[in-house]
Amino acid sequence: MSVADTTARSQVDTVSFEFDLRHSPKKVWRALTDPELLTEWLLPVFDLALESGHAFTFKAPPQPGWDGTVNCRMLEIEAPTKISYAWVVGDIDTVVTFTLAPTASGTRLSLVQSGFKEHQKQNWGGARYGWKLMGGRLVVLLARIP
Amino acid sequence: MQTAVAAEDKMFYALADPSRRAIFKSLMRGESAVKDLTARFDISQPAVSQHLALLKDAGLICGRKDGRSVYYRVEPKGMKPLIDWVAHYRAFWTEHVDRLEKLLEKMDE
Repeated sequence: MSVADTTARSQVDTVSFEFDLRHSPKKVWRALTDPELLTEWLLPVFDLALESGHAFTFKAPPQPGWDGTVNCRMLEIEAPTKISYAWVVGDIDTVVTFTLAPTASGTRLSLVQSGFKEHQKQNWGGARYGWKLMGGRLVVLLARIP
Repeated sequence: MQTAVAAEDKMFYALADPSRRAIFKSLMRGESAVKDLTARFDISQPAVSQHLALLKDAGLICGRKDGRSVYYRVEPKGMKPLIDWVAHYRAFWTEHVDRLEKLLEKMDE
């Protein structure tokens, strides 16, 4: 597996990766959508259904201040190329999106976790752009922290 | 002491509002008094003060009193929860995709 961290340096509200996997998209898709397989590599999943709008949960080990529940809602599902769901921990709403593209050797899996919900981004319009600009500035500010 | 989770929640909540983001961004360019911010943005002074209070509570800005004015500036350490959040999920996904690959090796076609 080769991995590239594709997170833009100036982008502080998004985590994004690309993985080159030596397995077919069909197989990778199964691992991303079968509850038993998901439980094995990601987290125990409950009430998963592959339909847009469906609510389900992941259960991580509890931590102080967090019972370990990740509340999810399916936003977009397009077998075997794209699966996107809301990933909510406490009041922090994020969106996790997996995109699969066939390659000569298997699958390119792209994974993006965005810090804010899609519909919020739309409501904000220009504000989102400002945030990215702000991120660039942030690096400078952080350098001053002792 | 507030927990890391509560600090994150407060910070994300504070920055989720476009007006507050605009005010915060403006403060990143330098210290400003409430009246300067009110003049710069098309919002009333009570609304600006309310946004500032929320940003301050989230630890993103701090204020100092000078005569009858309060001047606000960005508190760099306040962004730490966001940086921590990104670092946490970078590590989380790296570890779990590693597990995914191990699982794929075991799976039938």
